[in-house]
Amino acid sequence: MEQLIIVVAALPLISALLIQLFAGRIGRSIARLSVAATTLSFFISLLLLWWALTGHEPQALPVGNTSAIMLFDPLSTLLAMIILGISLIVHIYSVRYMAEEAGYGRFFVLLDLMTAALLFMVIAGDLITLVIAWYLVGVLLYFLLGQDTRSQTAYRFAFWTLITYRIGDIPLILAAALLYNAYDTWSLTSIFNEIMANPGAHQVLGLPLPEVVAALIGLAAFARSAQFLLHNWLPYTMDGPTPVSALMHAGIVNAGGFLINRFAPVFVHSGDVLHIIFFVGLITAIFGSLLMLTQNDIKKALGYSTMGQMGFMIMECGIGAFSLAIYHMFAHGVFKGTLFLSAGGVIHHSRKDDGIPKDELYTFAVEKAPNKVHQPWLLMAAITLAVPLIILVLAHLLIAQDYFQKQGAIVLLFFGWVTGAQLIFATYRMRTQNIWRLVGLSVLSLVIVVLGYVVISHAFDLFLYPDPAFRVQLYSAATIDLLRFDVLVGVITLVVVSGWVLTYYAEQKGLRRRQQTKRLWLNFYALISREFYIIDIYTRLTRTLLGFSGRLNVWLRWL
Amino acid sequence: MPDLLIILLAGLFLPLFPLSMVFNALLDRIQHPWLRSVLFIAWPFNGLFILLYSQVNLPDWLLALALSTSALYAFRMLSLREVNQWNQFLATSLWSLLWLPVMQDTPPALLYGYAIGMSVPLVLLAFLSAGLVRRFGAAYTGLTTGLARTIPRYSGLLVTVVVAAIATPLFPSFFIMLHLVVDSLSVMPLVAMALLLIWLLWSWAGAQLIQGLIVGRASDIKIADMGNTTITLYSMVLIALVVGGIILGGVIL
Repeated sequence: MEQLIIVVAALPLISALLIQLFAGRIGRSIARLSVAATTLSFFISLLLLWWALTGHEPQALPVGNTSAIMLFDPLSTLLAMIILGISLIVHIYSVRYMAEEAGYGRFFVLLDLMTAALLFMVIAGDLITLVIAWYLVGVLLYFLLGQDTRSQTAYRFAFWTLITYRIGDIPLILAAALLYNAYDTWSLTSIFNEIMANPGAHQVLGLPLPEVVAALIGLAAFARSAQFLLHNWLPYTMDGPTPVSALMHAGIVNAGGFLINRFAPVFVHSGDVLHIIFFVGLITAIFGSLLMLTQNDIKKALGYSTMGQMGFMIMECGIGAFSLAIYHMFAHGVFKGTLFLSAGGVIHHSRKDDGIPKDELYTFAVEKAPNKVHQPWLLMAAITLAVPLIILVLAHLLIAQDYFQKQGAIVLLFFGWVTGAQLIFATYRMRTQNIWRLVGLSVLSLVIVVLGYVVISHAFDLFLYPDPAFRVQLYSAATIDLLRFDVLVGVITLVVVSGWVLTYYAEQKGLRRRQQTKRLWLNFYALISREFYIIDIYTRLTRTLLGFSGRLNVWLRWL
Repeated sequence: MPDLLIILLAGLFLPLFPLSMVFNALLDRIQHPWLRSVLFIAWPFNGLFILLYSQVNLPDWLLALALSTSALYAFRMLSLREVNQWNQFLATSLWSLLWLPVMQDTPPALLYGYAIGMSVPLVLLAFLSAGLVRRFGAAYTGLTTGLARTIPRYSGLLVTVVVAAIATPLFPSFFIMLHLVVDSLSVMPLVAMALLLIWLLWSWAGAQLIQGLIVGRASDIKIADMGNTTITLYSMVLIALVVGGIILGGVIL
């Protein structure tokens, strides 16, 4: 019955072929066919996930007499269900949303092909199928983003996506070739078994093979998940149809996290690579969040928000919390998909509202809204910093006593604390007559979120990596020298705490910036608003290359 | 015949720079799609035949020259606007890579299979380009835009053929490129890197070509799209290419 996983991936493919064949005869009913196939596939994926949850052993399933292998395991069943869930919502949304657009049939063909490619990617049990699916996702996304064939802009940015994805294909192909040359098989299961049994058996250019392969897989994941310097395509691909943006931000962009999880048996022997992955994720999270704050276009802000989230997801892998990255992927997929699909509604609503910011006199005199209540700033700062930490520590103590022995867990706690404190600070700045009630409510919601996250992430850990020894190996691979770790955490905590205390103080006292600080601040803002000039550099580089290509053609007389 | 002469002759058919300029000059003068198609099929076959028949010892520097030729033409494709020229540059870039499997002692049947797999999309593109010239007077990117709206079926086919030509899965060139990378990586990592770079340049050039032709507003003048029979014929060839690609992939990987 596990063979059904192949049917799950094949159904959208069959649907795409049928639509292509019969689009002329059945007209707009093609959408129903597409939705029906995706629904059926989704329900089968639910069934498969249930089997995986109830203890069916993972299996590598050969496809006929070919060398292609599909995997039935916790990761593939869970991700197949997530992909199909998001794809189904996007399909249903698109039935009416795309009705007035030209190329209705083409859109559903591409959407089904994309769903199939994503499914084959997550269930691939051999390197060739994985490389093919990985490659095709980039090509199909290019055409989906360019659904509006009148728009040069849509195609320009779709091209950015394509070229970044193609750059990301290179390390994956190299990793696949290295593994094949070393182990003489394309089967992922066989390769991983051999690596687990003897990780130091092969070397590449004097380096252990697992380290080299892990670095290459990491690079492939960076390109797919829009990590810093390979991120420009993500916020700019907003000219594509909204359902495609939703699918892209909720599903496709998460592929980096999936890839790292799939190659977990390689990463347990590549601690140094995990540290680099953590660092890249951290930089991406910071830059993504920073850039998001300066956007005045809702879709672009969402794009940078996705970049930040992808940074967090990759960072989680870097600290050995692989299953948490999958949970993050799932949670982010659901909320970002919702945000994109409702972005149109928000824009529509904002057209009815003049959007002019109201000053305090207006809100007090016309709207009868209360003035902001100021509480003692030191007390509020202390609550903001202490409450999230207490909640996080207690929640984790409930789940696992030994939690605080893992460095990765401390890093996660740290980020949980930063986010929680951010939430309370934001609440504190809201206008209300009863600040204590608001803070109380936000603390309550924080408790629910943290408990939910702790319980669910623990459940994901048990489901995806049932072997406790392997889980320990993953965390210990990501561990760094204790002294360095403690110093790092201490310094960052100090920076964050001082930043908040200063902000609170400035908020309360209404301090104005000095002229010199103001200029510095404006320069910094200009730098962010130009997105650190990265796009300008890439554009200049592209133009130089194209110009040189043209000059070569002239010199060689176009022969 | 001295080895160098044989190599020079083969370098004309499996184009090596600067001999590749002869092939391109010849194709510049031949505009008829049937003649171009015959050349696209026969040209690499001649080169392979010469090399296999003569059993000549190939010096190592040929590998560097073949890769450089392929990279040079792939890079020059980025600024091309004329579809026929783009097609012949891609042919040059593709066929010069055939030196690699020849030097790796690949069985002759497979070598001819590689040549066919690489050339068939070029033949299809030659006919499609001729169709554009018939309809619009020229096949220039940027000049004939908005084809997706003006002649949607034609442009759909054009896009698929371009995608097939630039070694996209599941077409034969994809599996050939993957095989070449896998084979060369363990012994010559730099060659594998060069192959991947060339592959990337093809994708870039392909996207430039597609965007220059299909994107934009529809033409005000009514232009005849492709008929059902022709579409079916092209589709059958493309399906055969995919099936052939999968079979080839099964054999070589």
